[in-house]
Amino acid sequence: MSNEYIALLMFSTLMLMLVTGQRVFGAVGFVAAVSALCLWGGTGAAEMPFNASIGLLNWYPLLTLPLFIFMGYMLSESGIAGDLYRMFHVWMGPLPGGLALGTIVLMVAISAMNGLSVAGMAIGTSIALPEMLKRKYDKIMVTGVIQAGSSLGIMVPPSIVLVLYGMIARQPVSQLWLAGVFPGLLLAVLFGGYIAIRCKLNPELGPPLPKEERQMPMKEKLQLLYAGILPLAIIFSVTGLFMIGVTSLVESSAVGAAAATIAAIAKKRLTRKVLDNTLHMTLSVSCMFMWIILAALCFGAVFDGLGAVKAIEVLFLEKWGLGPWQVLIMMQVSYILMGMFLDDTAMLVIVAPLYIPLIISLGFNPIWYGVLYTVTCQIAYMTPPFGYNLFLMKAMAPPEITLVDIYKSIVPFVLLMCFGLALIMMFPQIALWLPEYYYGT
Amino acid sequence: MPNAIKTYVRCVDAVNRRVGKFALYLVFVMMGILLFSSISRTFFDVPFNWTMEMAQFTMAAYYLLGGGYSMQLKAHVRMDVLYERWSERKRAAVDVITSMFLIFYLAVLLYGGLSSTLYSLTYGQRNYSSWGPPMAPIKIIMVIGILLMLLQAVAVFFRDLAKARGKELV
Repeated sequence: MSNEYIALLMFSTLMLMLVTGQRVFGAVGFVAAVSALCLWGGTGAAEMPFNASIGLLNWYPLLTLPLFIFMGYMLSESGIAGDLYRMFHVWMGPLPGGLALGTIVLMVAISAMNGLSVAGMAIGTSIALPEMLKRKYDKIMVTGVIQAGSSLGIMVPPSIVLVLYGMIARQPVSQLWLAGVFPGLLLAVLFGGYIAIRCKLNPELGPPLPKEERQMPMKEKLQLLYAGILPLAIIFSVTGLFMIGVTSLVESSAVGAAAATIAAIAKKRLTRKVLDNTLHMTLSVSCMFMWIILAALCFGAVFDGLGAVKAIEVLFLEKWGLGPWQVLIMMQVSYILMGMFLDDTAMLVIVAPLYIPLIISLGFNPIWYGVLYTVTCQIAYMTPPFGYNLFLMKAMAPPEITLVDIYKSIVPFVLLMCFGLALIMMFPQIALWLPEYYYGT
Repeated sequence: MPNAIKTYVRCVDAVNRRVGKFALYLVFVMMGILLFSSISRTFFDVPFNWTMEMAQFTMAAYYLLGGGYSMQLKAHVRMDVLYERWSERKRAAVDVITSMFLIFYLAVLLYGGLSSTLYSLTYGQRNYSSWGPPMAPIKIIMVIGILLMLLQAVAVFFRDLAKARGKELV
């Protein structure tokens, strides 16, 4: 029983620390370091925080993180993503809630250009959010839209989370990526439907663009449509090259970053200021991310050393004597619970090696489970108190959006994601049809 | 505040700003290494076994050397449900206490880094890979990064202390 007490102690200490407002990485790292020293003492425990950095050093897919962040900022700072947004703005603006719907479509496009939700969040908060706030869209709804939309980044290829899953489950990444396509679109359609219905019922949430703003000659409208072509080319230079096997996964992130830079040069938008902002934002966001992951990995190692994960396994199979579907559902629930306070990549490394063999031996399809896992991660990303998206959103959003607004905004979208998750569970073909069609298995 | 502390804070800020401005450009080094690797393999059929690790080492240098500067840029998010409602001065006062936690974590990190680096130097440790580079150089860079982060955290502590006492430290 003492293990459970320690886990509880760690969790409550962490809560207390975070309420004091210290930097998250400092709070997480401190609790991890102190717990390691108290529990095990000696040199080995004192080295645990640093060992996490060696773990990161040998984790190649993580290289895609700064490069995709760079790419995302390059696209937003140079205004290329802005062109894309303006295209949706003009074409979808007349609908009630049209800008929010356009944002969802934009997010799907951006998700196809990067493997994490960071870039989508950056573009969403820097371009779409101010535009929507200016046009009196409901603050809480649009915050939710951007978070839910950007979380598609880990579902639509190229997805970092599916790469990590593929490594652990020993499944081909390309099949996993294909499996993520339709579930990603399904979620986007669910979000879009929700926005459309809510704005139809209550037009104040998302007023249509005033007439004078959308009167624009057809020629200009078509020119804007043309602006969408460049991002499409970038999407294919990243995902396409990887899918046909020209570049490795990590290389394709470098190709994408270079393609975004070249696109900015070609459009004569790569000024000193754009480059400077991009580099500073890339460093800020990468450092924030990497230092949190560093601390969270150490926290996870302590948690793991306490045998918390093993305890869950014993609990499921022996103590509760659950059937296959019950185990699956329990796993999803436990992922969401753990995702609240563990980094999802650390979680994948700690929990997945225990869960995945169990899933395969129970007769479930590992590719399909990868998709379920990813949707669950999306949910865990967004659930308080430790969702990464929540922190990112707070870091990037204008100051009038408080953390409480962010917490409120995600509720309907988390419910929609749970619904989507249930659909994919009931109809595995949503995920499996495309990879089976493509690879003929 | 004694002059020694003011000088310390100014020096640390300046050093970290310079190191950080250098680290900014490491993202191009990563990009370059990976592009070089994919071009040489695809077009000239010459694969290299060192590119991935080199890029990975560059990334470690990137986020660790950039750490101190990222603190100056206020890049690190906080859980600020309560924090954001406090006055400037109260925030600084609470930060004075809680930065001890941050400093403690960084100190443990530094200790682990030093002992791991000493091990690599003593036994000539190499990475388990086909390239098998010695680990000491990258570990030394990482330790420098962690040290700079620790120095910056202490500088931030002094700044907050001054602010909590109603003064600004330039």
